[in-house]
Amino acid sequence: MNPTPATSTSAAFLATLRRDFLIAYKRKHDVVNPFMFFVIVVSLFPVGISPDPVKLAEIAAGVIWIAVLLASMLSMDSLYRADFEDGSLEQLLLSPHPLYFMVLAKNISHWLVSGLPVVLISPILAYMLNLPAAAYFTLLLSLLIGTPILSLLGSIAVALTVGLGSRGLILAVITLPMSVPVLIFGTLAVQASVNTMSPAGYLALMLAMLAAAISLGPLASAAALRISVD
Amino acid sequence: MLDVIQFSSFSEFLHMGGYAFNVWSVYGLFAVFIMANLFLPLRKKQQILKEQKRRLLFSEAADDAQAPAGDK
Amino acid sequence: MWLWFAKLGSPKWFYELSSKWLPWLVGAMAILLSVGVIWGLLFLPPDYQQGYSSRILIVHVAVAGTSLAFFPLMAVAGTITLVWRMKLADMVAKNAAPLGAWFSFITLATGSIWGSVSWGTWWEWTDSRLVSMLFQFFLLLGVISLRSALEDSDKAAKACALLSIVGCINVVIIKYSVEWWNTLHQPSSPVSLSPDSPNGPEFWIATGIMILAVYLFLAVSLILATRNEILVRERQAQWVQDLVRQE
Repeated sequence: MNPTPATSTSAAFLATLRRDFLIAYKRKHDVVNPFMFFVIVVSLFPVGISPDPVKLAEIAAGVIWIAVLLASMLSMDSLYRADFEDGSLEQLLLSPHPLYFMVLAKNISHWLVSGLPVVLISPILAYMLNLPAAAYFTLLLSLLIGTPILSLLGSIAVALTVGLGSRGLILAVITLPMSVPVLIFGTLAVQASVNTMSPAGYLALMLAMLAAAISLGPLASAAALRISVD
Repeated sequence: MLDVIQFSSFSEFLHMGGYAFNVWSVYGLFAVFIMANLFLPLRKKQQILKEQKRRLLFSEAADDAQAPAGDK
Repeated sequence: MWLWFAKLGSPKWFYELSSKWLPWLVGAMAILLSVGVIWGLLFLPPDYQQGYSSRILIVHVAVAGTSLAFFPLMAVAGTITLVWRMKLADMVAKNAAPLGAWFSFITLATGSIWGSVSWGTWWEWTDSRLVSMLFQFFLLLGVISLRSALEDSDKAAKACALLSIVGCINVVIIKYSVEWWNTLHQPSSPVSLSPDSPNGPEFWIATGIMILAVYLFLAVSLILATRNEILVRERQAQWVQDLVRQE
């Protein structure tokens, strides 16, 4: 029954990646907004809590991690929406290639466009929050490992709610509790570095979580898309 | 094991060795929790049956009203 | 085996069978609940450390233990919904989520009332069990709000089934990571009492009776709610209409 695909799966994977990059390039606000959101949220904390550098240093890791969590969640909204509205999501579901790889390609391009910039700016904000310099590298590393996990988890919730009109809050209610383990290990790793201990154990655990998320997350997202787009 | 009631008077029983508020509020909450989750479904069942009976009778009445018209 | 499975999926069969079972379940539940509560309130000797506040624990531990059953239950029901398209499984799962949220909430409330005596504070982030119960509560609220947001009931069934399976895996990960997190953030004022600390066989026998009673209560309440769901969803079926007429 299955038609023989005209292209190989890897070609389709790359085509999906390329297409999503092009769309992101055309719709710049989807890229810029999460980034701005992250910067603004982080700069609210000193205003709200205290300008005292000692206090700020204590909360810096947590503040940055939570702001990243919120920014990543807000940016997820654009993952499947445009594709759902113009019908190209249905085309994707009908394609003969395994949906797992198509979803993975969309997740990767989405993370590169809206997750990576947030990660890259984080050391500057860490400096502004007076995070001890010893922990910068760990913060960057933990965010590099952690934010893809957040994207892959969020993708499941977005796929489940893709048909809904207004879903900002329901997305938060579903995804935020699920991201607790990432938050815990991300901040623990940074704290370990601040206390001049090795963060390697936590980072290894996060890598394990990332491996699990890469192998299982797109499967769940694909199943969720098949449920939502019928 | 069950040979001793721990209290010699009713007021002592209410007092719970100084933890009256905590012990009684937990058992009270527990009672509300159990009762609510048993009686709310039962009450809902009555509502459902009542509502469905009303609909059933209504649709039957509508059928009866139509039937003679169809015969003629 | 498969015949039995197909039969179990039939709402009518379930409705009739549960009519037969309910009186027994309710009877057993009532007996065990009264034994547990009366024993707990009248006979249980005060704990040498906690005094009579240990009596809270019989209720708290029973409700807490039972509320851990909800995500596995919903995940199994969700798998059955997704794989075999069994309507009954979804009816159970739909009603399990709000009941689970009730259970989690009561666990949190009784736990914090107990903590107000034993820890001197109503909320303690260093107790990993309460913290992971809080997140389980949030996850259940997520499942409930997803169910209410999706209007198409078939889609809602499948979506919630998938979310329950993902949530079940997640609850386990959250539980272990919160425990880990806790061992590293040693409390400044050491909290010595944990809900495990009361000893003596009487305490644990009373708790065991309570756990059984609360599990029976879970079954009874879930069956009652599922029967209502059957009446609503199968209202076009002849047997439901006959049942309605008899009322």
